[in-house]
Amino acid sequence: MAKVLEGPGMGLMKKWGIHVPNYVVVTSTDELTKLGQANDWMKTSKLVAKAHEALGSRFKLGLVKVGLDLNAAVAATKEMIGRQVGSITVSQVIVSEMVPHKEEYYCAVKSTREGSEILVANCGGIEVESNWDRVKRLCLEVGQAPSAGQLEKLSKDAGFTGPLAKKMADFAGKMFTCFESEDAQYLEVNPVVTRESDGELVALDAVTLLDGDAKFRHPDWNFPFAAEFGRSYSKDEMEVMAVDSKIKGSVKFIEIPGGDTAMLPAGGGASVYYSDAVVARGGKLANYAEYSGDPPDWAVEVLTEKVCSLPGIKNIIVGGAIANFTDVKKTFGGIINGFRKAKGDGKLKGVKIWVRRGGPREKEGLDAMRALKDEGFDINVFDRNTPLTDIVDKALQK
Amino acid sequence: MSILANKDTRVVIQGGAAGVNAARRMAEFCYLIKRPLTVEAFVYPPDAGKTNEVPYGSGLIAIPIYKTIAEATKNHPAINTSLVYIGADRAMKGGMEALDDPNIKVVSMITEGVPEKDAKLLGTHARKLGKVFNGPSSIGIISAGACRLGVIGGAFDNLVLSKLYREGSFGVITKSGGLSNEIIWICSQFADGITTAIGIGGDAYPGTDYVSYLEMFENDPQTKAVVIVGEMGGDLEERAAEWYGAKKRRVKLIGVVSGFCQESLPKGMKFGHAGAKEGMKGEGSARSKSDALKKAGAIVPPTFGALGPVIKETYQELLKSGQVKEPVEPAVLPKLPKSVEEAMKADEVMVAPLIRTTISDDRGDEPCYDGYPASELINKGYEIPHVIGLLWDKRLISKQEAEIIKRIMMLSADHGPCVSGAYATILAACAGIGLSQAVAAGLIMIGPRFGGAVTDAGRWFKYAVDNKMNVDEFLAYMKKNVGPVPGIGHRVKSLRNPDKRVKELVGYVKSLNIKTPCLDFALAVEQVTAVKKDNLILNVDGTMAAVLVDMGFPVDSLNGFFILSRTIGLIGHWVDQKRQDSRLIRLFDYLVNYAAPKRREVPPLK
Repeated sequence: MAKVLEGPGMGLMKKWGIHVPNYVVVTSTDELTKLGQANDWMKTSKLVAKAHEALGSRFKLGLVKVGLDLNAAVAATKEMIGRQVGSITVSQVIVSEMVPHKEEYYCAVKSTREGSEILVANCGGIEVESNWDRVKRLCLEVGQAPSAGQLEKLSKDAGFTGPLAKKMADFAGKMFTCFESEDAQYLEVNPVVTRESDGELVALDAVTLLDGDAKFRHPDWNFPFAAEFGRSYSKDEMEVMAVDSKIKGSVKFIEIPGGDTAMLPAGGGASVYYSDAVVARGGKLANYAEYSGDPPDWAVEVLTEKVCSLPGIKNIIVGGAIANFTDVKKTFGGIINGFRKAKGDGKLKGVKIWVRRGGPREKEGLDAMRALKDEGFDINVFDRNTPLTDIVDKALQK
Repeated sequence: MSILANKDTRVVIQGGAAGVNAARRMAEFCYLIKRPLTVEAFVYPPDAGKTNEVPYGSGLIAIPIYKTIAEATKNHPAINTSLVYIGADRAMKGGMEALDDPNIKVVSMITEGVPEKDAKLLGTHARKLGKVFNGPSSIGIISAGACRLGVIGGAFDNLVLSKLYREGSFGVITKSGGLSNEIIWICSQFADGITTAIGIGGDAYPGTDYVSYLEMFENDPQTKAVVIVGEMGGDLEERAAEWYGAKKRRVKLIGVVSGFCQESLPKGMKFGHAGAKEGMKGEGSARSKSDALKKAGAIVPPTFGALGPVIKETYQELLKSGQVKEPVEPAVLPKLPKSVEEAMKADEVMVAPLIRTTISDDRGDEPCYDGYPASELINKGYEIPHVIGLLWDKRLISKQEAEIIKRIMMLSADHGPCVSGAYATILAACAGIGLSQAVAAGLIMIGPRFGGAVTDAGRWFKYAVDNKMNVDEFLAYMKKNVGPVPGIGHRVKSLRNPDKRVKELVGYVKSLNIKTPCLDFALAVEQVTAVKKDNLILNVDGTMAAVLVDMGFPVDSLNGFFILSRTIGLIGHWVDQKRQDSRLIRLFDYLVNYAAPKRREVPPLK
């Protein structure tokens, strides 16, 4: 799943014929002033300014301002740009035209196991969240498109009547086309409103999640994907991502500030069991990490360096199941190099290392880890005969 | 018995290198259970018509590569299963091609990063055709003692340790490839091992889910219990729980779910697998899944670590109730033949080396010349002549010796376009011949008459000095036994028109105040010969030879100095002609003395 910010999300909807308000995304007040001179709607309409970042609760943070004229929008932009919220610095502001409206509606398309589901409700905004039973659904098998009749029935079931029923059916149809054509996994518009000027349905807000794996067939996806949790990626995280993108296999790294147990396990499945074990033992995770698919040793070395650089760690869990084809000796070679570098840089003082692993060349790999003891590392090495997560129990024993 | 993969399974692998690697792993398993290789064909259009060689025991089996699935199944009608190792952007097309083939009943996709929609289309298509589509991102499927599809099961040693050579009683279904081996191992240590283990892939919407496979296990009398390894996200585990709770099931169900840590982690954090994403409003959490399984009557150990004891307990119950019997282990198992490297490492074989070298070794991270790492030589100020000293004479020469070699090379790097070597290279360059061949054409000219007299000159000057001959004795000896003295005489230079290169080199060497017995002798020879004939002077070959022999270089290496230096010039001539885009040249008739017989009639053939 790849989250897309509002601006590019609305761009995709517009591409598929969904009405969206006029909007611009700016990085400075100068840019906004210039755009204001070029675009009539910015002078004639009331405006909304929002911080264009992957942030939750923007309203509460004062990062959404409504009912502005151009000058006020410039002032709001000035106030927002550069503001620090947690680890995110606001660098973009989206300024859009306010669409005066009375009623609010809801429309979404989501991926399901069978295919997809179109959701429609004749209430919107906060109201739909507290009246979820008013949301009506149309389930579609993968590869199947909704017929005009199905869409109209959905619209009527949701309580739309008269010409609005037809309009909502069209709107939902376009949402589906956008979803289908753009390899989306989730599209949500809340609210959908009737524009008073021409009576058309307009999408006032867009939540867009795309299938990052399908990027190869969408050359016009020229926008970056946003971090999926409420902060931007750190420098170390981005460095590991950069490595991940150019290797066979994978390395993953996410920091969790405040933890004291560092994770360096192998495997997408096992890594979560290791994290579970730490939490179950009352430990505090300092990160999530994982390497798998027989990655090159240098990539594992980079990952190891990042893990060793986490502040305040007491234990490092180098866990892993019995590998199918990941070469234990080779990947451990990368970890060992990373440990040596970290130690040379004065890190790992008082840090205990716990190792458990099996797989191709497990004996050589584990022996090499054991040998680190002679170099002054505080390391405990176990083989396949020790159950997977027992090293976490040993590490966190009080 | 087993499910999906059995003794009748015959396989086509779609894809290149990764598929070949899988075939190797599958061959190891076939060898372990003493059955013929299950892989009958590859489909990989770039290599269609060729074969892939797959080791089986100590031999190699050639497996044909086809352009299409249809060709593969036509030539190998026993094929009923396809493994897809094609890149994510083409995986759907390949998967569909396999599903649409009437002979193929099971398609397992190993490819990772397949778009969700493509995976769903494949799954739906398979269900409509009544076939099985497993994956994407599947590590494979293995049925103990019967069939291995993909790399699941790991290295040969692990197959043996996990007792995969014979059937057990436990089925395994897991999303995680890495954990599949772990569970197989646990089943073999805490119970009697597995029947079939299936990696369904870690994507959000696997082509076939737990329920379909549970149904198959339920219908397989050999499987007495099934272990499922779940993770947060989606509703596959809930569906499995629903299936299990719906009515009395023959198989016991054991389930673990990962992702409890999610409760204490930042919201929205992404885990290893695409499918491991948190559900909205708490659905799909590890806790809800775990609770659903428990409620349905499945055995759910509190942690992954407790899985072993739970499996053991289940096995003991099965033993007690007589549903399973203690397995009988085979007395002898085949051992995978070691590669020569592995056997040597284990001190099990001795191999007589084919060649022997005493000068260099690049098995480390950089080449070592006579033991010295190249980078260290550079960093300590050594230069090309020192490398020549190390590689030609196995010694670190002095700074002064290096300077002499450098000067020899500079003096003999080129001699204009008219000499045999350069002319041959230019001729070749003009004929459009490539660099290495054109330079080789020039080098071929180096011989007794052109540039190749250095070694011989050195040999005879050294012979004279070693045998303490005087000039007269030497000249008499040469006249009687050898012929003209190599290194003496020049085509155009003479006493009156001396070779400046010789003067330069002799002057420099003499200025160093070092012992130069060969050079002194050569100059003494010149004194005598030049009096006899004006152009019988010490030439550049002879001078180089004498100096180099005085420095201690082995006689047989001496021509190398000329070959090496002149290569610089020959490359220059080739590049020069290339730069000018020179055209093909041929001799003009007036440059040829046609001394052949005049035109005449050919007599009748007798």
